[in-house]
Amino acid sequence: MHSEASIREPLILGHKTYHDITNDIVTPIENKAPRGWYVLMVIASLIAAYGTGCILYLISKGIGVWGLNKTVDWAWDITNFVWWVGIGHAGTLISAVLLLFRQKWRMAINRSAEAMTIFAVIMAATFPGIHMGRIWMSYWVLPLPNQFGSLWVNFNSPLLWDVFAISTYFSVSLVFWYIGLIPDFATIRDRVTKPAMKKAYSILSFGWTGNAKAWTRFEEVSLVLAGIATPLVFSVHSVVSFDFATSIVPGWHTTIFPPYFVSGAVFSGFAMVQTLLLVMRKVMHLENYITIKHIEYMNIVIIVTGSIVGVAYITELFISWYSGVEYESYAFINRATGPYWWAYWSMMTCNVISPQLFWFRKLRRNLAFTFFMSIIVNIGMWFERFVIIVTSLHRDYLPSAWTMFHPTWVDVGVFIGTIGIFFTLYLLFARYFPVLALNEVKSILKVSGESYKKDAAKHQHH
Amino acid sequence: MSSTKRYWKDLGDLHQDPEAIKGREHEFPQETAIDQVLGDPSFGGASTGRRDFLKFLGFSVGAATLAACETPVVKSIPYVNKPEDITPGVANWYASTYYDGEDFASILVKTREGRPIHIKGNPRFGLNRNPSLDKGSINARINSSVLSLYDGARLKGPIKVDQADSAKAQMEMSWDDADTAISNGLASAAAAGKRIVLLTNTIISPSILSAVADLKAKYATVEHVQYDTISYSGITNANLRSFGKRVMPSYDLTRADVVVSIDADFLSSWGCTTELTWQYAMRRNPDGAMNRHFQFETRMSLSGANADERTAIKPSELPLAVIALHDRIAQGTGGISLGGGNADLDAAVAKAADALIAARGRSVVLCGSNDEGLQVLVNSINSMLGNYGSTIDLGRHSTLHQGDDAAVAKLVQDMNGGGVGALLIAGVNPAYSLPNADAFRTGLQKVALSVSFSGYADETASLCSWICPDHHYLESWNDFMPKAGHYALAQPAIRPLFATRQWPESLLRWTGSYSNWHNYVKGNWQRGMAGVDGQGGDMELAWSHAVHNGVHDVAATPGEAAFFNADLAAAATLAKRSATAGDYELVLYTTEAIGNGQHANNPWLQEMPDPLTKITWDNYVCMSPLDVEDLGLNMYLGEQAPASLVTVTVGERSITLPVVPSPGQKSGTLAIALGYGRGANGEKVGLAACVTDHDGKWNSVGRNAYPLTSFSGGSVRYSAAASLSVDGGTYPLAITQTHLTHMDRHSVVRETSLGVYKAGDKKAFNPAHTLAVHEDVNGDGVIDARDRKPVREFDLWEEHPVEGVGHRWGLSIDLNGCIGCGACITACNSENNISVVGKDEVRRSREMHWLRVDRYFSSDMTHAKGKEEGMGKIGRYLEMEVPSQTPKVVFMPVMCQHCNHAPCETVCPVAATTHSNEGLNQMAYNRCIGTRYCANNCPYKVRRFNWFNYVSPKFGEVNPAWDDLGRMVLNPDVTVRARGVIEKCSMCVQSIQAGKLEAKKAGRPVRDGDIETACSAACGTGAIVFGDLNDKGSSIRSKASSDRSYYMLEEIGVQPNVNYLVKVRNTEETTV
Repeated sequence: MHSEASIREPLILGHKTYHDITNDIVTPIENKAPRGWYVLMVIASLIAAYGTGCILYLISKGIGVWGLNKTVDWAWDITNFVWWVGIGHAGTLISAVLLLFRQKWRMAINRSAEAMTIFAVIMAATFPGIHMGRIWMSYWVLPLPNQFGSLWVNFNSPLLWDVFAISTYFSVSLVFWYIGLIPDFATIRDRVTKPAMKKAYSILSFGWTGNAKAWTRFEEVSLVLAGIATPLVFSVHSVVSFDFATSIVPGWHTTIFPPYFVSGAVFSGFAMVQTLLLVMRKVMHLENYITIKHIEYMNIVIIVTGSIVGVAYITELFISWYSGVEYESYAFINRATGPYWWAYWSMMTCNVISPQLFWFRKLRRNLAFTFFMSIIVNIGMWFERFVIIVTSLHRDYLPSAWTMFHPTWVDVGVFIGTIGIFFTLYLLFARYFPVLALNEVKSILKVSGESYKKDAAKHQHH
Repeated sequence: MSSTKRYWKDLGDLHQDPEAIKGREHEFPQETAIDQVLGDPSFGGASTGRRDFLKFLGFSVGAATLAACETPVVKSIPYVNKPEDITPGVANWYASTYYDGEDFASILVKTREGRPIHIKGNPRFGLNRNPSLDKGSINARINSSVLSLYDGARLKGPIKVDQADSAKAQMEMSWDDADTAISNGLASAAAAGKRIVLLTNTIISPSILSAVADLKAKYATVEHVQYDTISYSGITNANLRSFGKRVMPSYDLTRADVVVSIDADFLSSWGCTTELTWQYAMRRNPDGAMNRHFQFETRMSLSGANADERTAIKPSELPLAVIALHDRIAQGTGGISLGGGNADLDAAVAKAADALIAARGRSVVLCGSNDEGLQVLVNSINSMLGNYGSTIDLGRHSTLHQGDDAAVAKLVQDMNGGGVGALLIAGVNPAYSLPNADAFRTGLQKVALSVSFSGYADETASLCSWICPDHHYLESWNDFMPKAGHYALAQPAIRPLFATRQWPESLLRWTGSYSNWHNYVKGNWQRGMAGVDGQGGDMELAWSHAVHNGVHDVAATPGEAAFFNADLAAAATLAKRSATAGDYELVLYTTEAIGNGQHANNPWLQEMPDPLTKITWDNYVCMSPLDVEDLGLNMYLGEQAPASLVTVTVGERSITLPVVPSPGQKSGTLAIALGYGRGANGEKVGLAACVTDHDGKWNSVGRNAYPLTSFSGGSVRYSAAASLSVDGGTYPLAITQTHLTHMDRHSVVRETSLGVYKAGDKKAFNPAHTLAVHEDVNGDGVIDARDRKPVREFDLWEEHPVEGVGHRWGLSIDLNGCIGCGACITACNSENNISVVGKDEVRRSREMHWLRVDRYFSSDMTHAKGKEEGMGKIGRYLEMEVPSQTPKVVFMPVMCQHCNHAPCETVCPVAATTHSNEGLNQMAYNRCIGTRYCANNCPYKVRRFNWFNYVSPKFGEVNPAWDDLGRMVLNPDVTVRARGVIEKCSMCVQSIQAGKLEAKKAGRPVRDGDIETACSAACGTGAIVFGDLNDKGSSIRSKASSDRSYYMLEEIGVQPNVNYLVKVRNTEETTV
């Protein structure tokens, strides 16, 4: 039985009963969607359609429709890839790491954060695919037997490690997420009356009966998956950072990249969770479940990881000077003072300076400010990847090869498009899936104590 | 018993039923469906039912779809009888000669399956042969000329131009019609006593001259006028005035210890460059007797970029500088002083003069001015120095550049006056290139019969009444005599592609005494040889030998002693007259790639970056960066940073072009390249001369600057006083290298002065990269920072077993030998089927060149200097980006360095790029999926990505590999790369394999020099040397182990197989 000190704020406000929770979460699925949902859905799917068009255009014409050149061979593509992967990290961190640490407050947010992870990883995985010159040969990166027309892969290549890291991460996240959804689908199945919906949710719930044995196994599987997912939180972005760290490009070849990337990922992931949840809690009236306390906790994670990222930036600068390597020191001077100075200082402002405002309790409990900051952090983290990739490449060893990178409308279109696809998926999730892990949330409801006492008090008056 | 046994098929058979027997006559008793349908009397009127209709429809659609799916059948027809000398897959090389009025070179033409696909200099014979290297020196224009053979705009037969039609409609005619009409025209012109003028470039072919003589014999009024597009009249006239001979001398720079060039870009455009470049390069070896090169010039030319001492002067200062030089030398040698030299230039002039005097008889002064007076003064200088007979030869003079501007001017006058009855034009394009092209065009209207022999309906040809297209030179027989005693032959490497005819053959036809041109040349040659040679041996054998070698030398007639005899004072007055100053002073020049403009239709040349500005696909106004900054125009040019447009006005004529800040140019001057703006009025001059520009309009590449030239003092002038107005508009330029300086990165570029080099301390000019280790390396008992090991000894990866095992191919690049001409770039294009991508793609830094020549200007700021001055690092870097006002230039060819620890190889997820056991970094295009990780991780940035399908209609305007005709130039040994894959220098692996195979067949090891890459073969100066680093006797091995050898970015440990040799300048500085 969960017990907590009485001075602690309860995790669920508003004296909910178990039935209330089921009602709050399932009713929006049963009822017609509010008009706002349709409006958002139309906007998101239009953007998604545009983005898909841009991707098809890219594949039909060639990578040349992007602004890349002989010197800068990666730019927005890999920036977006790393950005999306990073965003995904918060979901896994919340659901797996916080589960292992028995942080009960995660229960209100883990479902939607995990959904965000899944969708973000899908978006991320898009980019390594479409950035290939010959996407139709992309299966060659898999170590397939020769019958598939594929030769063996090069295990020295960090890109190959990426393939494994991302695919593992995606599968584990998906399974973890889906296992959690099964009891909730069963709840919906048991409530809905429309035959089609009943059928659909009954398929989705895999015949969940809710007996004690099932619950025991559910708990065990969750724990095992959390155990598997936890190292992934650290490994995936470490592997992504190897793309850069193992190269010889000045500004990429940096040993602090793995921890720096992981903290950056958690940083941006929590910001994205904030962006999504702040809207969702308002629209779906989840204020009692996703409380100021949750927001504040997440802001604390943001300030901690943001500061780690800040330290990493400064360490990089220090090492570039301390190493005495001409190319390395130029790479960092060029970042800060060269033609892309604005990107560097945008990154610095958004990621290092602005999160420090969360030291003020008032600000970190302020919803509007938190929302604003979550956007700022995500902009900052996008610039971080842009700075690492583009400003390192555009002026590396030989000054004769130095160029500038200028994005084209297709660069922009594909990026915006993935945001559209992401939100489309997320809106579908919010509409048809239980946005809170309702059966888990029930386990932290202090209904036995508080409500009973309240009811009893009421009766005593009579 | 057994005999009674009977077998039967059915009951009918058993009973011998007559009906059944009859029915068996038809094997299939039922009527076939087709018989039924055809036999049905109601067939004609039958209406097809709905279901049948749907069946037919379905079948037809299916059948049509299937048929459409079939891949197009490309018929390749095998030889029924294999020609003796053509083996599929084996290249044939033919010796021939290139001459286009501008360049002359003995060449070898590579043909595959009967198609010429590549050109290199003749390594064994010819003026352009570098005897120290056994290589033929050629430039980019020459090795690119193979592509123009396959230009779709070439005329396919004679054309009659409708003069009455305002649009000048062109009608295809037969040669018979043309011959009749033109012969009649010539006869009537001669009968009317009107001049018949043959206007050609300088003819150095004895046979053509003989054909011209035949024409003269037939028609009394024939006159031959020679016109050089870029005029040398001033020089030849000056020689007439000085020595009584109207010729260009030939030079021998191998004997010159001191070369002073006054506005002569002899490495790129002036004189017989194919000869001068190797001569010059032979004396640039710091281990031998290195020459000293002074250059006085307005803009930074290729020669200026190579000079040891370079002084920028205005064109108006030129005469005074020459007078100052003259007087200083006169003082030193006891000659006559003129007085009135330029005091501002005293120090620079004195330095050059003292060096010249010290090297009397072993020096040369070259002057590029086309001013007669000035050239007389230069002749006087050379004469005072005793250079005639040593470095300058007037006896065995050059026969190039005989053009006479005065005669051309008179011709234009006569044409307008109606005195010319017929005009035959060969090898020149006066309507495009004359200063008074307008007058020429109006005059042409008054000529009754005008015939052009141009291969294209170009600016001049489209105005003539007949176009009788000439063969491409690779389809032609010809002979040449570029200097007395030196004969060269051209033989066809392919049958004529179209119904063209060599123009001298047309002349012969019109004389009525036709003989086959080949026989004519051969007969003429044999007659001539019999006279000159005095051998009288087997003429047939001698001819075969000469055709095989491409060259025939006869005993040199000793040069007549030349005595300078001219009125110096008069010459000085003449020279000074040309010095007119204006707001700005304009100089007009020709570029390394495009030359005088006749090759403007060659996409390889248009896409070859200018050696100095690195700009492709345009001409522009070069200005001093100071002036550009003062005018507030764009200083930084890049993909999204277009150049500012200005209008340059000379007299009545003006031209609007973008401005390029050009380090080293004299302040107050402008420089514009000639040769651009071809086909501006819609003439079909060839593939790349006109392209769709950034506005989507079809436009000529660049603008024609010839109208800014002028005719004065008996010759064409290429400088003028000009005014400049800023338009306010901008114009995008396609630049392959936007950064100007090398940012003081000594492990990229290493240079030193001769003094330092000769002192012999390698640490001073080529220090090794070492790393401190935790071992007592120096054995002093202490482990400290002095314990260092060379960076080559550190390895993260397992070694490739390349050292001493089998072959290890490599290149050695001598920064002293590289003059930056870029012949290697186009040779590589031709050998390796490199896509031309057009201006817009180059602007986006997507040129596909596997080999580039990096150009770095020196900056006044260095780390050492900045530290001394107490400057911060940021400030230092900012200043290092700015080139010096008086920059030194380094040219550095960069291709794949074939690293033994290649960073590209480890990062490819699919192992598409791997290391060969011969030290090559090799690329499997088929395996590449295009992640471009390798390109990012390449420290030399030599990997190129196929951003689009460059072999597609979208690039058809520029990429010759698109159409069927252009595709014939492709090297069948090299894959044309698909979209989405990375490509890069393969070190011509196809040639390596072929060379190894040859050696294997001959049962011997591969010898040094057996195999050449396209770049090394094209490099007549010997800057690029290919070979086997494991071959102890190879020249590359000795170069790689010399004191000057270094590896680019050695400290990052990628262990390249390409080494560079430190550049050494013959300057007086004793510090690095």
